[in-house]
Amino acid sequence: SQGITESFGAAIHALNATHLTDGVIHRSKRMMLDTLGVGLLGSRTAVFNKALMYSQRSSVWGRSEITLPPHYAAFVNGIAVHSMDFDDTWHPATHPSGAVLPALLALAETLASRPSGLDLLLAFNVGLEVQGRLMRFSREAYNIPERFHPPSVVGVMGSAAASAKLLGLSPAQCSHALAIAVSSAGAPLANAATQTKPLHIGNAARRGLEAAQLAQIGLEGNPAILDVANGLGVYYGDYNPSPMADSGAFRWILEDQNVAVKRIPAHLAMHWVVDAALAARAKLRDTVGTFDLSQIRQVTLRVPPSKYINCPLPASEHQARHSFQFNACSALLDGQVTVASFDRAQINRPALRELLSKVEVETPEDNPPSFDKMYCEVEIGSAEGRSAAARCDTFYGHWRKPLSQRDLVEKFSVNASSVLCPEGVEGLIDVVG
Amino acid sequence: PLLTMQLMPPGYTFFINSHTSFGKFISEIKPQYLSPVALYRSKRMVLDSVGVGLIGSTTDVFELALQHCQHMHAPDPISSVYGRRGIRLSPTLAAFVNGVATHSMDFDDTWHPATHPSGAVLPAVLALSDMMPANSKPSGLDFLLAFNVGIEIQGRLMRFSNEAHNIPKRFHPPTVVGPMGSAAACARLLSLDPSQCSHALAIAASLAGAPMANAATQCKPLHIGNASRLGLEAALLASRGLEASPLVLDAVAGVAGFNAFYEDYVPQPLKSPSDNDNGHVFLLEEQDMGFKRFPAHLGMHWVADAAASVHKVLVGVDPGKVSPDQVQDILLRVPLSKYINRPFPESEHEARHSFQFNACSALLDGEVAVQSFSPAAMSRPELHALLSRVRLEHPQDNPANFNRMYGEVQVTLVGGDILKGRCDTFYGHWRNPLTNESLRKKFRNNAGVVLPSEKVERLIEAVEELDRLDDCGALLSQLE
Repeated sequence: SQGITESFGAAIHALNATHLTDGVIHRSKRMMLDTLGVGLLGSRTAVFNKALMYSQRSSVWGRSEITLPPHYAAFVNGIAVHSMDFDDTWHPATHPSGAVLPALLALAETLASRPSGLDLLLAFNVGLEVQGRLMRFSREAYNIPERFHPPSVVGVMGSAAASAKLLGLSPAQCSHALAIAVSSAGAPLANAATQTKPLHIGNAARRGLEAAQLAQIGLEGNPAILDVANGLGVYYGDYNPSPMADSGAFRWILEDQNVAVKRIPAHLAMHWVVDAALAARAKLRDTVGTFDLSQIRQVTLRVPPSKYINCPLPASEHQARHSFQFNACSALLDGQVTVASFDRAQINRPALRELLSKVEVETPEDNPPSFDKMYCEVEIGSAEGRSAAARCDTFYGHWRKPLSQRDLVEKFSVNASSVLCPEGVEGLIDVVG
Repeated sequence: PLLTMQLMPPGYTFFINSHTSFGKFISEIKPQYLSPVALYRSKRMVLDSVGVGLIGSTTDVFELALQHCQHMHAPDPISSVYGRRGIRLSPTLAAFVNGVATHSMDFDDTWHPATHPSGAVLPAVLALSDMMPANSKPSGLDFLLAFNVGIEIQGRLMRFSNEAHNIPKRFHPPTVVGPMGSAAACARLLSLDPSQCSHALAIAASLAGAPMANAATQCKPLHIGNASRLGLEAALLASRGLEASPLVLDAVAGVAGFNAFYEDYVPQPLKSPSDNDNGHVFLLEEQDMGFKRFPAHLGMHWVADAAASVHKVLVGVDPGKVSPDQVQDILLRVPLSKYINRPFPESEHEARHSFQFNACSALLDGEVAVQSFSPAAMSRPELHALLSRVRLEHPQDNPANFNRMYGEVQVTLVGGDILKGRCDTFYGHWRNPLTNESLRKKFRNNAGVVLPSEKVERLIEAVEELDRLDDCGALLSQLE
């Protein structure tokens, strides 16, 4: 009987464009557009610039004057995509597109015969699918992570699978690409909320591409890497792999489980607390007539338990993007949270620091650390003893409440315009659309 | 002290947590803290590592990795490649391929707790030295110091976990501590400040960790190649100002750092010699290195020595070759470790990780050598005949631990006689170290496969003189 790893290799090899359904095509094109946009915007960040300096020598997004060897192009573009935590998020939790698209685009540029758009789309979806399948091997993967950062575990596997697909590798080579990629997996969570976190996606893209190229020239790994306990399983507390059916009765995970697209360049959980804070703010303003900051005595946040996004006094933009407290207070202060909210000057505002000192965080029992089940509640207590509370169960942009096409394109336009001219922006929208 | 996620503003150091203490150590350690024993032992490691790297440059996996680097990357000819005169690669890729070469035949050094420390560090330090301008190369002593820092950091990290003291089951140790050692060594050579050294370690942690499942495959050598490359990368990124978490080595509940790789983990701060009147005692002084006599997993050396002693008795009894017809049954008493229990290995990689294969080879030939893993040697009918007669036992008193295990070979002859061999400490183990003569002999055999003998001898001299060389270029130039 076919081993699990073998089944994955066979499936990656056998899937073809006829298997792409309309639903999947639609969703994945939206993901591509969003990813390109956040990547272009991200090419202005400090972390991206450091990585670029380091990688000196396929195209670099937003830099027409620079090309790099494909691995480094995948690396820096992946970093750009995750640099502001603005990229898509899936359930079970990972950032699927950033690990795959940069690798594919970098690879596509090096191929003797340019792949068609459909070839690219197919490979992209193979990369997503493999990530989704692998995460479903573990119950642990369904919750907000605590040990390994998921893009570093499944992202590199997705990149390897997608690259193997685009390269047209044989089933055995696809299996070996996965095996080689596992030896490049697994970064601990501790570097989340730091400048190094974006490298997790950059490295996933790069090293997955490398794994596929090594498999192409004949490197072999363990052909049962997904099957055995001391293979991919080492990254999970519980691990129960199952085979992937090849073409026959195949249904893409993306059909049944959409991604969340972020409206705010911050950790996904922040989106709930921002929506709740804005609603509470509006309620208070409607009750009192105006919204007066100085009247606020206390702000209570009811959130799921997760250490790395509980940061009372963030000192950097990276910490700020991973802080319930910061995002709630920014929303209360400004009536919105945008790209500009994470500028150094904004983070250090006295008014914001003062409001932050009034925040209490509670983690109710019924609020699980799962992007599919969590909620956020914001309760504002004012000086006169009034209070206004609001709860968000599903923010706009979550998979249960996807961004409209118009709003998705709008996000892309705003992001891409930071580095591209209007014709460039429109051109990309047309091409992906 | 309790550390919360609320990080202190820059400039404050109320107390030194484990992670920042490591950064401080790497930055502040100086050559004068290298004792004679540390110098002596580490030079032996450098010699052995270069030798196994040179012979490793003749392997398939090395060729494949080199092709990959040359074709996939723009030429950035700076750092030299073992055994390939005229080929240069960018520093990280040179570190990568030379690391692959070093571990390609599982011939490189092994420490306790278990890892292969030199292969993760030396290629990176060499590549980085190549990168430095010709008129400001590090001195031999600076080079040796950086190397020792890389070894030291690996040793200190492994001591944070009891799990690390045994033969691994989950993560391959060179992939866990190797990148950290490489990052530390390179940070030291680059003279990064304490904060940058800390960040280098933290960046490296996000590049650490590969599972055991790829051991005994062609992919395993890449574990060391990647450790070397990625540690160098981490140090270079830190030198450019990239920042990471200052708490990666500490154990923060709910957010895993380096402890993600271990089931039990208790970190300790590392004292910087500038804060410590007693200077610094390197772990290498207290715990020597094991060097392999033949290219296979360390565990194989016990059964090979035990089987060799039985071979001696057999040929004494019946002069000439050992014949399978004489042998009815072979019983091996070895520790329990799945990835080195392979009754019928099919590739050289599997053979290097097979108690059965190494015992039978030694029984037949009186020793295991480089040639024992050639396709011809592996396919011998007499070997297969012996392999089919092997059983394994895992006695309770034989732990999967390189400091405490033993190997026993019990051969039952057709006539009914039973011959036993036992090895508690093989020659080359840290308790019974190779003499300098044996180490040099191994080096000559290895390096001689790719270098002319004058260069081989000059390399031996250069390493011997390393701490007295003004310019480590004298070592670098002999490698091509």
